[in-house]
Amino acid sequence: MRERRPAVSAAVWFVVLAAVSLAPVALLVLRALARTWLYPTLSPVVADGSALAAVLSLPRLRGALVASLLLALGTGVLATAMGCAAGRALVRARGGWRRVATAAAFLPVVAPPIALGVGIQVVALRLGLGGTLGGVMLAHLIPAAGYVTLYFVGALQGEDFALEDEARTLGATRWQTTWRVTIPVLRSRLRDAFVLGALVSWGQLALTLLVGAGSIRTLPVELLSYVRAGDDRLGAAAALVLAVPPLLAMGVVGLGARRTGAVA
Amino acid sequence: MSADQALPRRKRPEAGLTIAGLGVRFGERDGLADITCEVAPGERLALVGPSGVGKTSLLRTVAGLVAPLRGTIRVQGRAVEALRPEQRGIVYLHQAPALFPHLHVLDNIAFPMRLRGVGEEQARAEARRLLARVDLAGFAERRVTALSGGQKHRVALARALAATPDVLLLDEPFAALDPALRREVRDAVVALLDANGPAVVVVTHDVDEAVQFAHRMAVLLPSGLAQVDAVATVLRRPASVAVARFLGLPNIVVGEVDDAGHFTSALGAVPTTAARGPATLVAAADALSARLCSEGTGVVESVQMRVQGSVLVVRCGAERLMATPAPGTTIAVGDLVALSVEVDRVSVLSEGNARTGSHPQPDGTRAAADV
Repeated sequence: MRERRPAVSAAVWFVVLAAVSLAPVALLVLRALARTWLYPTLSPVVADGSALAAVLSLPRLRGALVASLLLALGTGVLATAMGCAAGRALVRARGGWRRVATAAAFLPVVAPPIALGVGIQVVALRLGLGGTLGGVMLAHLIPAAGYVTLYFVGALQGEDFALEDEARTLGATRWQTTWRVTIPVLRSRLRDAFVLGALVSWGQLALTLLVGAGSIRTLPVELLSYVRAGDDRLGAAAALVLAVPPLLAMGVVGLGARRTGAVA
Repeated sequence: MSADQALPRRKRPEAGLTIAGLGVRFGERDGLADITCEVAPGERLALVGPSGVGKTSLLRTVAGLVAPLRGTIRVQGRAVEALRPEQRGIVYLHQAPALFPHLHVLDNIAFPMRLRGVGEEQARAEARRLLARVDLAGFAERRVTALSGGQKHRVALARALAATPDVLLLDEPFAALDPALRREVRDAVVALLDANGPAVVVVTHDVDEAVQFAHRMAVLLPSGLAQVDAVATVLRRPASVAVARFLGLPNIVVGEVDDAGHFTSALGAVPTTAARGPATLVAAADALSARLCSEGTGVVESVQMRVQGSVLVVRCGAERLMATPAPGTTIAVGDLVALSVEVDRVSVLSEGNARTGSHPQPDGTRAAADV
């Protein structure tokens, strides 16, 4: 029997997907590099890196870059630790409460960040964490830990915990088992989870605005201020600065996955 | 290795593994209750039982990976039930070898020695010695993922011995292997575990494997430990009908023991020392032999061909029995046969024994009884 051909070939779908994914990035690069882009021309009349250089020379933006990096790194580390522990507990759990706990892990992912932020803001202010880097990091941690937990619930399905059990009976304490067995075995998945947690923090705007109370200025906050001021050129350059690190991180994850044979 | 091999000498009364009144949890509910048994150093005890009865749960509880509900576990006389797994001196090996994939073969074996603080050189030298004992001397720097199934089992065993355990628990170690590989791994295990080695408990649902590997056999049924005895004793004299059924003994005949000390049933009269009253006879097919007899009470319903010879299915009154043809006899379907019972190879269980699973009394003195 002849195999039925799909109505639209895979190549067409690939082109559509590539266009949808790449077009915004391409347009962003064009806008960031465009010095003069007159209507109705489809490409910039004059293009250079002056906007990018201008943005990077601004102390405010450099400060925002550092704040974003610190928040992403801290959130990534904490979310990975929490999500890994929670994900492992959920995968190993038995009984009815497992479903309840998994649903609870979904909540920070499902709820819009701005809705979460309103609740967090009140508590953060009362704890004296409003407008501090620590307070914003804790706020970022809520959705990031949710995503990372769900990642581990999926990544550890079918995982055999025999390695750890056997390490314990071979004489390893709980800590020795964690350092000598669990972390090395989960290394590639921990790296991916860290990148995921860091990216959730990197692009976070609503929670930063609500809990940071204007004192914590990250790259998304600065970008928003350029856009609101109508400075498209600087806004696009700042957006490019915001977009490049996640793309590099994905590249690193992809390379690492290829080297270890894991699926990114 | 056979079931008749000599048992290792017990070093002292409480040496090895002693379990008393142990309650084992199954997930959220109570599982096994009142498990009691002992394993001497160097002794190999096979824990057999049907799937899902709790063999693995029992092993995990002994290893400290699951908390017991009650009872005591002693290793070399030391109570360990409240200790963490790493403090018990018990190594638990999973069915599939759980080798650390990020370590080479040698580092896997050196792992427990490094935990104990053994120096790097000494640990590696000892690991190489153990690797040679499992015939894998040239594999020290290999990745464990590059090993075959049998090689992985041998490395896991070498690593377990590197921890110098007092007790070694093997959870269906041969179940996932094909028959040829199973023999290879089993022989390697037996060669490594000498009389001065740890007390060994091996879980299996394969009775033949238990016969090949163990000195003694413990039969675990849903009601608990039904019998713990020398392998040959369990096979010849199961403690209860339930044990006989698990062992796959095909002849389970209900009857009665009379005042003269005979068990009377569809088989006829078999001498026994079992108590007077209702009783059950259990026997393997080769404990009953059939010979052609025009006045025999049995009719051959079918002849089943086996590797070891043919087995007859004989209708004897209301009972369907399995027997082997007497030497030099050719028997066909429909033939009338008389059955002889090898008295020292059958068990007559009085009703109390059959219910409670207590040990049966030795049966009569005659070598065989014609029925």
